[in-house]
Amino acid sequence: MAVPKLEQLSKSVVQGPSLVTGAVPTKDWMDVPAIFKPGNYAYPAKQEKVEYLNSQKDLNFPNAREWSPEDDDWKLPEGWQDIILKGLKERLDKFRSLKIFMDCCVRCGACADKCHFFLGTGDPKNMPVLRAELLRSVYRNEFTIGGKILGKMAGGREMTVGVLKEWFMYSYQCTECRRCSVFCPYGIDTAEVTMMLRELLHLVGVGINWILEPASNSNRTGNHMGLQPHTFKDNVDFLAEDVENLTGIKINHSFNRKGAEFLFITPSADVFAEPGLYTAMGYLLLFEHIGLDYTWSTYASEGGNFGLFTNNELMKKLNGKMYAEAKRLGVKSIIGGECGHMWRVVHQYMDTMNGPADFLEVPKSPITGTTFNNAASTKMVHISEFTADLIKNNKLKLDKSRNSHVKATFHDSCNPARAMGLMDEPRYILDHVVDWVEMPENTIREKTFCCGSGTGLNTDEIMELRMRAGLPRANAVKHVIDKHDVNTLSTVCAIDRATLTSLMNYWNPGCNVAGVSELVGNALVMDGENRQELDEGLRTLV
Amino acid sequence: MKLDEAFRNHREKIVNRWVDYTLSTYKSSSFFIKEKDKFANPIGGNIREALDSLFGLLARNANPKEFVAPLEQIMLIRAIQEFTASVAVGPIHAVKHITREVLAKDKERCHLVQELYDFEFAVDLAVLAAFDLYMQCRERLYKVRIQEIKTGNYILTDSKCPTNLLKTNIQESIKAVESH
Repeated sequence: MAVPKLEQLSKSVVQGPSLVTGAVPTKDWMDVPAIFKPGNYAYPAKQEKVEYLNSQKDLNFPNAREWSPEDDDWKLPEGWQDIILKGLKERLDKFRSLKIFMDCCVRCGACADKCHFFLGTGDPKNMPVLRAELLRSVYRNEFTIGGKILGKMAGGREMTVGVLKEWFMYSYQCTECRRCSVFCPYGIDTAEVTMMLRELLHLVGVGINWILEPASNSNRTGNHMGLQPHTFKDNVDFLAEDVENLTGIKINHSFNRKGAEFLFITPSADVFAEPGLYTAMGYLLLFEHIGLDYTWSTYASEGGNFGLFTNNELMKKLNGKMYAEAKRLGVKSIIGGECGHMWRVVHQYMDTMNGPADFLEVPKSPITGTTFNNAASTKMVHISEFTADLIKNNKLKLDKSRNSHVKATFHDSCNPARAMGLMDEPRYILDHVVDWVEMPENTIREKTFCCGSGTGLNTDEIMELRMRAGLPRANAVKHVIDKHDVNTLSTVCAIDRATLTSLMNYWNPGCNVAGVSELVGNALVMDGENRQELDEGLRTLV
Repeated sequence: MKLDEAFRNHREKIVNRWVDYTLSTYKSSSFFIKEKDKFANPIGGNIREALDSLFGLLARNANPKEFVAPLEQIMLIRAIQEFTASVAVGPIHAVKHITREVLAKDKERCHLVQELYDFEFAVDLAVLAAFDLYMQCRERLYKVRIQEIKTGNYILTDSKCPTNLLKTNIQESIKAVESH
């Protein structure tokens, strides 16, 4: 009986009609082109969205057109190489960090296997060091003496259409989560390299719709969803009604109220999309519980800032809107809801872009008297810090048994964990409201794995890519499901609430995703409540 | 019983080669093979764990229903990667050839190669089950896409602003009322 040898099977498997290239690279990485096909790229930005953004003051989004990554001709503008190189030079001069990141990498490889995209795809260009090398090679060729003289021998290469296409592919297979930076001995922030790649691509009109449409909505109506003020108000009112139906507590909330002590800003997904809605109901209950003097704004109705995923000008503008509204309303300070990248922008960039916010006061809890000096410059305190302080001072009546249907674990969202060091406050809250367990040590806190769909990659046409990138996180969740019967993945980020839901539906069906404030809302014992039997907390259908 | 003993003696060797072969279908196979921490290396870790468990089941001629758990662990991963269906499932076959080769090289046990029929039939059943699971994973993926669209995230793109829709509806209602 003829048994085909394993080598032959291997050969036919690898050389079959597959996209797999086999284990041993046969070409230098510079010679492997980026090939676009349905499912491996996010749809390009619609022409009218780019035109709109380009028409706005202080914004530059040129070359609006219909185009497809699958086409050979991307309809780049005349002299596009010069535009890119000039843009790169400007940024090297403007951002000293970029210049250092370009020069100081010794290619030690510490970051290589830390990226969730690499771990889920096995594609070497998703190693952070190589992703950065996509830009660094052009930098060397144009801006270093060695590269100018020796070219490819010194790791340099010319800016070609192929290189540009590679930039587009791999800068959108990075969620700017910064896990790699934690392991870099030089502290290179590879997320900022991705940010620069995306900025440069926008200079020649290469961007994706799932980022630019929410960003233009946010610029126009104040939030990603494009909700106008009355609709935003209606949505929050509906949630307040739901809370009343469930608990018998009438919520006293307000909008655009001048002279309120706090302005509350949260991602608009919290007032619009499941499961964020339940988190928003948690906020409403918490503020009612302590009688907080606060207001929502129908203009600063978005915490998220998709400008972070495009360029620094748009990021500045969208961030500025929150502070302009705080000034207009004359509030003392701002409380921010459970959001991811809003906190990165506030904590790392706000101060140099729009700060310091001298017209506001350092946030101080009117209930406990605690001053949040960590927010001394931005004047914006995180809801988890605010809540943890209330619990610490025994200001909340909590009944943990109201979450007895939940066995939780906690996903550190990349930005709060790595960009602002918010790691213990959510855990402290969870300790008091729910039975929960940690995931394995190398997947939490500053080493947390990304949901796989941040930075505007939460779009359904790249679902497979998102599932690959989310595998390291889902894998750790599965471990605690198998070991501890966990049924809820809690988190403090709106994008997480949306993306982890899809991630769980694929990898770990039956595992819910909840905001920490939702679990707080479940556990709160309100004065004068007329609470029904809520088997599923605020999610119970009555 | 002798075959059982051969499987026991050579289990580690066979499974290691099977894992190496399966992971060789990835571009960065050396890392996936080398790193043993399942959380630092989810693809390598899960495939190693699942193939080891599957080999135990195949070797003791277990009920094919038991194949599902380890096979699902593998197919969930391979169904969403850049493989065609045949390549996604293909490596499950490899254990047949690996086992034959390993036994053939063992002078004391090379005669057992003749007795591998039941084992190889079990592998065939596992491959068929893997195809079913591959399809189930693909279907699950499409359902996840539909579910996401239903939950309202789609509203960020590919739709008019909901407020505009509301306005259109109101205008239409006003017209409808006026015409009566």
